[in-house]
Amino acid sequence: MTQSVTSDVAVEVRELTRTFGARKALDKVSFDLPAGAFLSVFGPNGAGKTTLVKVLTTLTAPSKGTAKVSGFDVVADAVELRSRIGLISHNPLLYPDLSAEENLEFFADMYGVPDAEARVRELLVAVELDHRRLDLVRTFSRGMLQRLSIARALLHRPKVLFLDEPYSGLDPHAVEILDNLIAQIRADHTFVMISHDLSKGLALCSHALILAKGKVVLSALREELDEEQFAATYRETVGLGVA
Amino acid sequence: MNKYLVPALLVLGGLLTTAGFIMAFFFTPPVLGPAITNEAGRILGYQPLFSQKIFYFHVPVAISSFLVFFFTAYYSVRFLMTKEKQFDTRARIATEVTLLFVIMTMATGILWTRFEWGRWWVWEPRLTTYFIMTLLVIAYFVLRNSIEDEERRATYAAVFGIIAFLDAPLSFAITRIIPSSVHPVVLRSGGGLTGSQLAAFLIGLFGMLMIAYAIFQTRMREELVHDRLEAVKAALEG
Amino acid sequence: MRQFKAILRKDIVMELRTKEMITSMGIYALLTMVIYQVALSQSGTAFDPRNIAAGLLWLAFVFTSMLGLNRSLVHEKDQGCLEALLLSPVDRPVIFFAKASGNLIFLLIVQVLTIPVFAFLFLQEGSYAGEWWMIPLALFAGAVGISGVGTLLATMSVNTKGKDFVLAVLFVPLMYPLLLAAVSATSAAILGGDGSVQQFWTGMGMMAAFDAIMLLASFALHEFIVGA
Repeated sequence: MTQSVTSDVAVEVRELTRTFGARKALDKVSFDLPAGAFLSVFGPNGAGKTTLVKVLTTLTAPSKGTAKVSGFDVVADAVELRSRIGLISHNPLLYPDLSAEENLEFFADMYGVPDAEARVRELLVAVELDHRRLDLVRTFSRGMLQRLSIARALLHRPKVLFLDEPYSGLDPHAVEILDNLIAQIRADHTFVMISHDLSKGLALCSHALILAKGKVVLSALREELDEEQFAATYRETVGLGVA
Repeated sequence: MNKYLVPALLVLGGLLTTAGFIMAFFFTPPVLGPAITNEAGRILGYQPLFSQKIFYFHVPVAISSFLVFFFTAYYSVRFLMTKEKQFDTRARIATEVTLLFVIMTMATGILWTRFEWGRWWVWEPRLTTYFIMTLLVIAYFVLRNSIEDEERRATYAAVFGIIAFLDAPLSFAITRIIPSSVHPVVLRSGGGLTGSQLAAFLIGLFGMLMIAYAIFQTRMREELVHDRLEAVKAALEG
Repeated sequence: MRQFKAILRKDIVMELRTKEMITSMGIYALLTMVIYQVALSQSGTAFDPRNIAAGLLWLAFVFTSMLGLNRSLVHEKDQGCLEALLLSPVDRPVIFFAKASGNLIFLLIVQVLTIPVFAFLFLQEGSYAGEWWMIPLALFAGAVGISGVGTLLATMSVNTKGKDFVLAVLFVPLMYPLLLAAVSATSAAILGGDGSVQQFWTGMGMMAAFDAIMLLASFALHEFIVGA
């Protein structure tokens, strides 16, 4: 693994717990992720995957345990951390009544991106939306929304990217663009992706994690995994989770 | 906690409140108050006030409801600081007790108005404030019922509980201070309370506070049992 | 600070582009006037609407502001935009103040547009007695309180099942003291007469106290709501 990021361990999670009353969304989750890795997180609905991402992106605080991303604690150093991470979610997180360019400029402002104008332009070209930059986002198709969302997430050059089911609802062209972008920046970025697509998730990842009922069921390096066995474990877990 | 304490308090509280009430009727001297016509509130003369007797029940219950509401705010603050579910439960129950007491305040308030002013309702500062408080407490429950996610429900309720509690004294101050044709401020001739009046008043007040506490603890116990049941269920599933 | 301006500018640009909030609030205010006309239709020729003008105006403002507040926050929730804001390195209080300021500006605009219409429809007779600066001052003080607390409440209500119903249920009792003071001050400004200056300043003082306390509380509590 390349180590061009600031800290050796990109994501460090220790006994992360998030409970309320009797309900446990996350139950003593622990794992380490080295810099430059790509983690795919699998699990049935309600397993705690989204909660995990929410905690790691400082949107929610944990009840117990700690988590650090790029060496920054998600609670204590939350504000600092936010300028170093990006989230691509199945929600586009864009303002429908602003144009593509205005949206990106706004977020560039929020993040204090130094070369805002140039950066916005650069990204619009990268996601092939430059020709639509003056159009209002409400006129965009789902694929275009997701592409713009990716641009938004990359504005501030985050080193760690979180993806919450980014491929859902995308047309093949958009999938291709997303694949290309990920491949381009793969080298010195760390990724954490939630996915229901087993094959896609496995194809991209260097590390895999299965969560069920807030607990870690399996945590392994990709190279150690046997595809069929993994699929079987996964099916079993999902079966358990649904029941 | 001694399991006899709660029922004992309930009985004692009931006794005290009743004692206060009886004292109010038989042992306190009558207070003379203005006789008001149905029109612009001109004072016609003075008459012994039956309504003053209701005062011994109405004001203690009003004070009690405000004190219990304070606990709503207190537990809400503790919840926001610790995010522990038990504080949310306490806040909710405190609000339930507040609701009960505030409804009694309104009911006795209506009776008091009837006897004091000859009308069933007057927008007098204290009554108005408690009416607003009733609405605030109802709003608290409406808010709770409209949120499904447990933690969000607790957080939002706590926030509203705090701001609602801040609003009550503001309401009281403002309704008193703003001059208004529909908000008569009742001033009595012969200000404070004499010895036996004070005794009846205080006994009634303590009685009510005890009842409030007893109800609170009973409900808390119910909730704890309920929570334990939930935990067992969750453990069985997991 | 830069971020505050950016959020505020974004809200204003979006609003100017769609004019959604202002038109709906404006039309709503107009509809309220029509209903006032019906309500006053049997009051007789001796009745001077100036006596209740302040009350009617604030009634209109309360309802239109609830409409506006709801819409302003629905925007944020719809596409998950609030989440995007929370992800960025913006201090939560900045978000609160920016949104509250935006709501304040829209409410002030609606107030400014409504008053001439109201005066035109109902106050043709009789003159306006107080100092000219009294009414704008009273309107502003009330609007500040409404926007501040309203933003807090709307941020919550937008995430509930009842939405605007919940907003109304939470909003009205909380706003009661402010409204009382606002109507008192505005009425003194409109009617003039003995003691009106005193009444005006008493009302202003009460509004100032309410605004200070409630805005502080809203600002402090907002943090907890967006973290949820």
